[in-house]
Amino acid sequence: MSHFSSKICVLGDFAVGKTSTIERFVNNQFSEKYLTTIGVKVDTKEITLADDLTLKLVVWDVAGTHTFGDVEFAYLRGASGHILVADGTRPDSVITALELRKQVEDRYGELPFVFLVNKSDLTQAWEITDEQEKALRSELADVYITSAKTGDHVAEAIERLGRMIAAREFQ
Amino acid sequence: MNDLEELKNLLFGAEKQVLDSITERVQKPETRAVDVADVLPEAVRLSHRQGQQLVATLRAPVSQCLQESIRDEPKEYADALYPVMGPAIRKAIMNALRSFAQQINETIEHSLSAKGLQWRFDAWRAGVPFGEYVVQRTLLYRVEQAYLISRENGLLVGHVHHDAARIKDSDAVSAMFTAIQDFIKESFSPDRSGRLETADMGEFTLWAVHGPHALLVCVIRGVPPRSLRADLSAILERIHFRYGDRIRDYAGDTSTLPGVEEELVECLQFEALHTSDPGKRRSSVPLIVGSLLIVAALTYFAFNSWQATKQQQALVTALETTPGLYVSGIERDGDRYIVRGLRDPLAEPVDAIVAGAGLTSDQVVADLRPYQSLDPEIVFLRARKAIDAPGSVSVSQSKGVMILSGTAPQEWIDSVRQKAAVANLGLAIDLDGLAPAADLPPQSATQPESQPGSQPQPQLQLRQRLQEDVAKSGDAQFLFASGVILREQDAGRLRDHAVTVRRLVGSAEALGTGLRIEVVGRTDGTGSPAANMHLAERRADVAVQSLLAQGIDPILITRSTQIDAGEFNAPDAELRRVSVRLIWPLHGDALPPPAE
Repeated sequence: MSHFSSKICVLGDFAVGKTSTIERFVNNQFSEKYLTTIGVKVDTKEITLADDLTLKLVVWDVAGTHTFGDVEFAYLRGASGHILVADGTRPDSVITALELRKQVEDRYGELPFVFLVNKSDLTQAWEITDEQEKALRSELADVYITSAKTGDHVAEAIERLGRMIAAREFQ
Repeated sequence: MNDLEELKNLLFGAEKQVLDSITERVQKPETRAVDVADVLPEAVRLSHRQGQQLVATLRAPVSQCLQESIRDEPKEYADALYPVMGPAIRKAIMNALRSFAQQINETIEHSLSAKGLQWRFDAWRAGVPFGEYVVQRTLLYRVEQAYLISRENGLLVGHVHHDAARIKDSDAVSAMFTAIQDFIKESFSPDRSGRLETADMGEFTLWAVHGPHALLVCVIRGVPPRSLRADLSAILERIHFRYGDRIRDYAGDTSTLPGVEEELVECLQFEALHTSDPGKRRSSVPLIVGSLLIVAALTYFAFNSWQATKQQQALVTALETTPGLYVSGIERDGDRYIVRGLRDPLAEPVDAIVAGAGLTSDQVVADLRPYQSLDPEIVFLRARKAIDAPGSVSVSQSKGVMILSGTAPQEWIDSVRQKAAVANLGLAIDLDGLAPAADLPPQSATQPESQPGSQPQPQLQLRQRLQEDVAKSGDAQFLFASGVILREQDAGRLRDHAVTVRRLVGSAEALGTGLRIEVVGRTDGTGSPAANMHLAERRADVAVQSLLAQGIDPILITRSTQIDAGEFNAPDAELRRVSVRLIWPLHGDALPPPAE
C-alpha cells in the first residue's frame, strides 16, 4: 500500500460555497449558515485511488477574493492542484474563477484543476445558460455542476482532481 | 660463452636455471607481491594465533587509515553506520525514558503525601492519567512533538511524538502552521525575511527551526533551555545533509525519505525538574531546634497537666475522706480549684484539708453550703457539743455509743439523761461511768490543784485510769503514703486518736492537771535537707490540725521535726510518719499511791 499526500487549494469569489463544498467532501455535512472564511482554513481527506494507492488531500480553503494578493499567493505556493468554485446563480463568479485561475498559472505554472459550478440545488435562481455551460466545457476539461447542499458531484469532482495529481506526480 | 661458462652449464645447468628464476622473482616487485598475496592470509592467521604482536603492529596504521578515511568521506561512513547507530540511539532514549518514568512512579505512586494526593485530585479533575500528570509536573521541559515540514508546500515530511501527547491531524497542523507562517511573513515582515520562530500557547511553547528546504517545529511543554535550539538546529542540518535534494523536491511521497522519523526522534528531549539542589540545601539546624522546642513545650505541658491531675486527685481524696463534707464538683479555673458542695459546720476547716493535700489555701476556693452531716464522727461531735460536758467528764465513743466517764454534778447528769431521752442526738449515751459530784460545783475542774495525799478516793481512781490510758496510747505513729497524704488506714486512726487525746485531755483537766502533746513530723532523709525539713513540718501540721479540729487547746501541743536517714539513704516507708506522744503526769504532778 502506497500513501501519498498533496496540497490542493480551493479558489473562488466570495460566498460561492467553497467552504461548504469542502465541508460536504470532508465531513459530509452542510449548514445553511454563512460564515465567511478569514485567511485560510485547512482540512484533510484521504481518498483511495486504487487498491494499493491512497492519497491524502491537504485542502487549503482560501478566503474568497476577486484577485490574489501576496498573502494569498503565499498560501498557493507548493500546491499540486486547485479546485475553482463558481456560483451558478451569479454568472460573474464564473468570470472571477477564470481570472483567478489565470493569476495562479501566471505565478506558479499550469497545474491540474477542476471547475465547480456550485448551488445546482437552487434551480429557480440558476442563471448559467446551457450555451454558457457548453462554452465553459469546451474551454475547460473538467467542469462539474455541483451542489454542496445535496452533495451532487462534489466527491466525484474532487476525486477526479486527486487522480490527475497522482497521475502527474506519483506515476 | 667462454670455456668456463660452458663448463658451468655442463656441470650446474639445471640448478643455474632455478637460481636465475628465483633471482628474477625476488628482483621484480610484481612477482613478489603475487607471492606475498598467496601466503598473506595464512600468515596473518598464524601470526594472530601465536600472539598479540600482529595486533600491536597493525593498531597504529589501521587507526590512522580510519581517521583519514572518515575525514575524507564522512557521508559514506555515516551511511554505513546509520543502521547500527539509529536503533542504538533510539534504544538508549527509550531506556532513559522508561527508567525515568519508573523512578517517578516509585516515588509518587506509593507516597500518600499531601502533594501526591493533591496531584491525584488535579489529574482526576483534568481527566489526565495520574502517571502522565506526574511527568508533566516533574519535568523542566519536554519536547512533546516534532514536525518536519516542507517549506515549499507545507506538506508534512515527518512527525514524531511521545506516546501520551495529544495528537490532532498532523497533516492539517503542518499545513496550518505553514499558513500562519506565510501570513505573518507577508503581513509583518516588509522584506519577507522575517520568520516565526517562537510561539507561546499556555503551557506549551512552539519552536520553529528553519532549514533551506524544511522547517522543524517542536511543541515543547515547560521551559526549554537555550541550548535546545542548537540541538534542534543540528538535527535539522543532519537531515538536510542526509536527504539533500529529496527534501527540496518533496511532493508528498514519504517513500522518498526513508528513516526521516528516526532522525526526528532525537528531537524528543526532556529534562527533569530539580526541586532541590543538595549543594544549596538549607541548613536543618533551625528545623531541629524548632522540633526540640516543640518537644520541650509539649513535655512541659504534659508534666504540668500530670502534676495538676495528681494534685486534683489528692485534693479529691482528701475532701472525700473528710467527715462532714460532701463535694458535688471540683472545677479548674486557671491555677485555682473551685470546690462546690456541702459542709457541716463541725467538719474540719477546708484550709486544713487543702494543706493536707499539699496545696495552699490560695489554690482552692470553697463554695460550700452548710448542711447537717450524718457521718458518725460529726454526729459524735454534734452530740458532744449538745451535752456540753464539763471538764471533769471524759467523753469517748465506741461502736456508735457515746461513753461518758468521770464526775459531774447530778444536775448535769440528769440534763444529759433527759436530752438523750427527748432529743435525737444521733447516738446512744452511756452514763454508767459518771459519778455524781453533788458537793462540788460544776466548775470544780478549774479549781487549783489539790494537794497530794489529800485527794478524794474517786480522784485517785481517775488519775490511775488516766495514767493507764496515757500509757496505752502514749506514743502513736501514723504513716504517710507520699508527701503529706496519710495512708488510708492511718488517716482514720489519726482521727480516732485525736478523739481519744481530746478525752484524755479532758480527764487530765478534770483532775486539775495538764497533759502535754508532742507532735513530731519525720521524713526518711532522701532529698535535700531543706525539702526534708519543710516536709517534716507539714507532716507535723497534719496531726496538729487533726488535734485542733477536736478542740484541743493549741497551748498543750508542741511541734517538732526529725529527719531520719534510712539504710543506704534509700526511701523508707516506715520513716515517712508523724508521731503523737502524750506526756502525763507533767513535772510536779504526783502519782497516786498504789491502790490498797
